[in-house]
Amino acid sequence: MNGSFRQSMAWLHTWTGLVFGWVLFAMFMTGTATYFRPEITRWMEPETGPPASYGATANAAVAHLSKVAPKAKSWSITLPDERQGVTRVSWQPERKPGEERPRRRGRGQNQATLDAATGEVVKARDTRGGEFFYRFHFQLHYMPVIFGRWMAGLCAMFMLVAIVSGVITHKRIFKDFFTFRPKKTAQRSWLDAHNLTAVLALPFHAMITYTGLVTLMGLYMPWGVQANYKSDQAYFAEVFPQSEEIPRSGVAAPLAPLPLILHKASDAWGGGRPWIVNVSNPGDATARVEVTRHSGDKLSYRGGSLTFDGVTGAMISESPKAGPVNVTGGAMYGLHMGRFADPVLRWFYFLASLAGCAMVATGLVLWTVKRRQQLPDPEKPYFGFRLVERLNIGTIAGVPAGMAAMLWANRLLPVEMAGRSAWEVNAVFVGWGGMILWATLRPTRKAWVETLSAAAFLVAALPFVSALTTQRNLARSLMTGDWAMLAFDLTLFALGGLLAFCAWKAARYTAPVKPKRRAAKLAEEPA
Amino acid sequence: MTTSTTLAAPPATKAKSAKAAKPPPWRRRLDVAARGVAAIFLGYLFAALTTAVLARVLPGPRAEASMAATLLSFAVYASVAVWAFADAKTWRVWLGLTAGSGLLAAILWLSLTLEPRL
Repeated sequence: MNGSFRQSMAWLHTWTGLVFGWVLFAMFMTGTATYFRPEITRWMEPETGPPASYGATANAAVAHLSKVAPKAKSWSITLPDERQGVTRVSWQPERKPGEERPRRRGRGQNQATLDAATGEVVKARDTRGGEFFYRFHFQLHYMPVIFGRWMAGLCAMFMLVAIVSGVITHKRIFKDFFTFRPKKTAQRSWLDAHNLTAVLALPFHAMITYTGLVTLMGLYMPWGVQANYKSDQAYFAEVFPQSEEIPRSGVAAPLAPLPLILHKASDAWGGGRPWIVNVSNPGDATARVEVTRHSGDKLSYRGGSLTFDGVTGAMISESPKAGPVNVTGGAMYGLHMGRFADPVLRWFYFLASLAGCAMVATGLVLWTVKRRQQLPDPEKPYFGFRLVERLNIGTIAGVPAGMAAMLWANRLLPVEMAGRSAWEVNAVFVGWGGMILWATLRPTRKAWVETLSAAAFLVAALPFVSALTTQRNLARSLMTGDWAMLAFDLTLFALGGLLAFCAWKAARYTAPVKPKRRAAKLAEEPA
Repeated sequence: MTTSTTLAAPPATKAKSAKAAKPPPWRRRLDVAARGVAAIFLGYLFAALTTAVLARVLPGPRAEASMAATLLSFAVYASVAVWAFADAKTWRVWLGLTAGSGLLAAILWLSLTLEPRL
């Protein structure tokens, strides 16, 4: 490019950052929330109880499945843990001869949610819970899944390039760490804020972007596998060998006690936790029980699995040990998911990720702040400037508002409503779109103050909405010692407060007076 | 991000040199577009071929070689994209990426001919 290496990197950083900035902001926000995916799901299913250990529920799950699907081809049991208070069970009916492999079923069919403590079926409201934010952050919404994932991958790639070029742009990267000049000109302050949030958590941003690409590398970069294997199936068969399907013998045999099998699995893992249990041919002499290790047990996301004889309970086989490079891949996956993190580390993940949101947001704002001073007539900016400015306001305030709107919908939509969970999701985009619309209709300053205030209200009022509509409220969480739900409400207050603070700052902001000399010079040099 | 530093330059020389060095806007746009295409599409082609070739030539079991190549692929892609905008000459970017991809494709073809996939 014209100019120095650093200048061209600055240019690249500016434009790669802008083009996908809005989608990236939404991805960062929903991804940040995903660190508390089980807690969000718990909050959104107020009918469910507190977290429980898995031991007591295994028998209840088997009893339920034996009742509703005794002749199923397979059962799947996802055990509760210290963050989740329910056991999720599902089953696959036996295929009739000649029948195709059934398509993946939507939620609600062939599955049930059981209370972890009592084993009773819980009729939770129809919601996608924290799962929606998780899905959205890598495949977006209202579009084919594969298309969304490619979009997200493209955004992540732009982000990676923006990080690399951003680091090159900052020759004083270490000094920037300690630089914040809130009282300087607007551009300096925004630049400092952008640098501070970016540099503070730079290792995190670089890690999360790269490992994010790694989680979907099979889609984005299949060529390493294609070069060595005739098909994906051949690769998966080698790396994750599946036990072959055994047909039912027709000889009935009772299932070995599941708690015993889980105990054996835990012993084999040196105290590791079982997480997902798959039973094939339940009730038959050929029954097999596959126990997958909890993803939070180890840094690597692939905890491995053990297979047991379903009748005798004897261990039959262990998933093969992966090689060092595959373990590295699993660890990168695990680093992204953060499931291994204990509560303290999880909060650091959350805060670093919030810094990432702030980095993207301040970067977007910086684009307009820098150009505003260079406008020939600040009262009448050109179309591109106005578009960026409005989308900035509508997205930075709109995404948190939209996410809060989903939680509002979760509490306010009738429990028996048809298509309820889909409408919860629609609420996200009604909220976000509404904020963009609002931002286009109001003058810049008022738009910032009003949309941020609205977002602050939507977020901070949620604990009250919840208290008025369900059993989940602050006092109850405090009395029952439900710290996760207590922290959830307090975090909503804190985030609402943060948005209110932003609104307050926007209201008090005074645009710097443009020095005449500078303006004349700038007019000659469009950015 | 560097505008503020460039602004510090004496106005007269700045304006003069900027005028002399600045190509017409359409040339600049064409240049950016050419680099963008090179970075995104040729860059992907180059990264994909690098991944495939590395998966073939890296030592160790093939599952490991495939994984190592794939894990590295995004670093290759990002570096190439940065280079596409960093190099002073756009033609050099295009030439480098097409020639490099051609070379990698030849190596891949040779490797696959000598030892087919399983």
